[in-house]
Amino acid sequence: MRYLDWAVVVAYLVYVIWDGIRMTKHSGDVEGYFLANRSLPWWAVGLSVMATQLSAITLVGTTGQAYSDGMRFIQFYYGLPLAMVILCITAVPFFYRANVYTAYEYLERRFDAKTRSLTSFFFLISRGLGVGVIIAAPSVILSIVLGWHEVTTIFVIGLSTTIYTMIGGVQAVTWTDVKQMFVIFFGLTVCILVIVSQFPAGVSFTDGLTLAGATGKLTTVNLSFDLKEKYTLWSGMIGGLFLFLSYFGCDQSQVQRFLTAKSVSEGRTSLLMSAFLKIPIQFMILLVGVLVFVFYQFATPPMIFNQVETGKVAQTAQYQTLKGEFDSAHLVREKAAENFLRDRNDASKQEYLAADKAFNASRKNAVDYVKAETGNKDFNDVNYVFPSFVVQNMPLGVVGLIIAAIFAAAMSSISAELNALATATTIDFYRRHFKKEGTDREYVFFGRIATFVWGIFACIVATYATNLGSLIEVVNKFGSFFYGSLLGVFVLAFAVKRARARGAFFGLLFGIASVWVASHFTDIEFLWFNVVGCLVTVISGYLISLTDKGGIDAVKV
Amino acid sequence: MKEHTKPNEPPVERPDEWWYRIYLAVIATTIVVIALLQGFTYYFSN
Repeated sequence: MRYLDWAVVVAYLVYVIWDGIRMTKHSGDVEGYFLANRSLPWWAVGLSVMATQLSAITLVGTTGQAYSDGMRFIQFYYGLPLAMVILCITAVPFFYRANVYTAYEYLERRFDAKTRSLTSFFFLISRGLGVGVIIAAPSVILSIVLGWHEVTTIFVIGLSTTIYTMIGGVQAVTWTDVKQMFVIFFGLTVCILVIVSQFPAGVSFTDGLTLAGATGKLTTVNLSFDLKEKYTLWSGMIGGLFLFLSYFGCDQSQVQRFLTAKSVSEGRTSLLMSAFLKIPIQFMILLVGVLVFVFYQFATPPMIFNQVETGKVAQTAQYQTLKGEFDSAHLVREKAAENFLRDRNDASKQEYLAADKAFNASRKNAVDYVKAETGNKDFNDVNYVFPSFVVQNMPLGVVGLIIAAIFAAAMSSISAELNALATATTIDFYRRHFKKEGTDREYVFFGRIATFVWGIFACIVATYATNLGSLIEVVNKFGSFFYGSLLGVFVLAFAVKRARARGAFFGLLFGIASVWVASHFTDIEFLWFNVVGCLVTVISGYLISLTDKGGIDAVKV
Repeated sequence: MKEHTKPNEPPVERPDEWWYRIYLAVIATTIVVIALLQGFTYYFSN
């Protein structure tokens, strides 16, 4: 990175931290600190909802996935619009009119304190670990750009976000999210324009898409109903639907977003904003990865994008042999790509596909060699593709802008998660079990301490998360372990009149146990865990409720 | 950019009929977007 790039990144960081801290004056009481006095407009809440979901993992992980695997990941989001519609009809009015601080607070009114505490506890565990993975992703980038140790970068990112979240509360989270979304969108737009401008003379944008399309990288709909296939139309529409219902409707980091809206209508509109924009934005992000793939058809890509792992084996004779084979395979593929674009017939397409297959095989050999030599069985190059490309190929100033956009994506998610973790800790545990009659000042003080402690905890988790393969999949897989079962408890609360506290409590435990069984003893892909967890929780919860003789009158809705 | 609004402004709630039309529009738009993506894939893959 050069001075101008540094100036862009530092200016962004200073502005965001200052902008967050200046919200302190609106965060003196509990409702102001945790819910912004329910005063925020729909567009700010809507941008905050999207910024919270769009983490640095999304930018770094999915661009890397698109480079190696194509656009099929987009199917993951096909269930999101329908999930938003269902939540607008159910969760938004239920939570908003219940006047609660957390989603789990509602469960005590419907069931009992035990069920509330258990669901909140599972949220704290899953999100506390999940936010660690979210911090790990941008740290991977900075460790490459700066040559810093990953632990150093983790604490720089984690602590800077913790500071403004701790001081400014939910107001700081939301208004910095709004600005961060603009930085992300601007950075992505510039990135696409610059990549296309760097294609060789005579290769247009549509030529690039033709190459990507020929290799199957533009597949956006897979109609297979194979449960072992990760991304299909059905896993997205059904598994994704359950995941998003749970994430946006039962995860405090998202529920807290629409609880800050001025009214039920504004809360609904903020969610529908995502329903309309999420798939196009995700398409744009995946397109960046595909365009990087096209760029490297005509420029020699690194054999291994992770320079740290490369450095450990680069001097060995075997590595040099593999590098020679890789470079030759690239030259053959480059020539085949040029022939294909010139001739556009089946023979040239087959020649290009064969060259691409040989190229991928040589890269796989290299990755396998690095794994064997370093002893790092979990080594995965996917997360390093985009940052490596940016640093090596983007012009002066644009590198800084894109790094700032990745920072923005990371910080917007981390801040919302930390704020939600602090809210659940304060409201569901401290205020509920330890200090029922405290003052606003005490709760806000405890909320700030909780934010700080969760920030440190997340940083420590992040130090272990940097070698966990594709980070976007790690965080989604981990979430899928709990989300379906949490959703099941809320389905029992909203839709099953006969459901009782005992059924909800044990149903949740059965649901999580069933996901554990499914993950260890079957081959089904992780998106289906959400369906399994939800169905087992609802069915077992209902059946157990039938054994509870308590009357309908006992139910506190 | 106006960042703070008065908390005591009376909320304006729209009727359910209006929301049902919006929900229908969201679902219809999603179907159209998936169809367009399928068309995009088909066009560049052949």
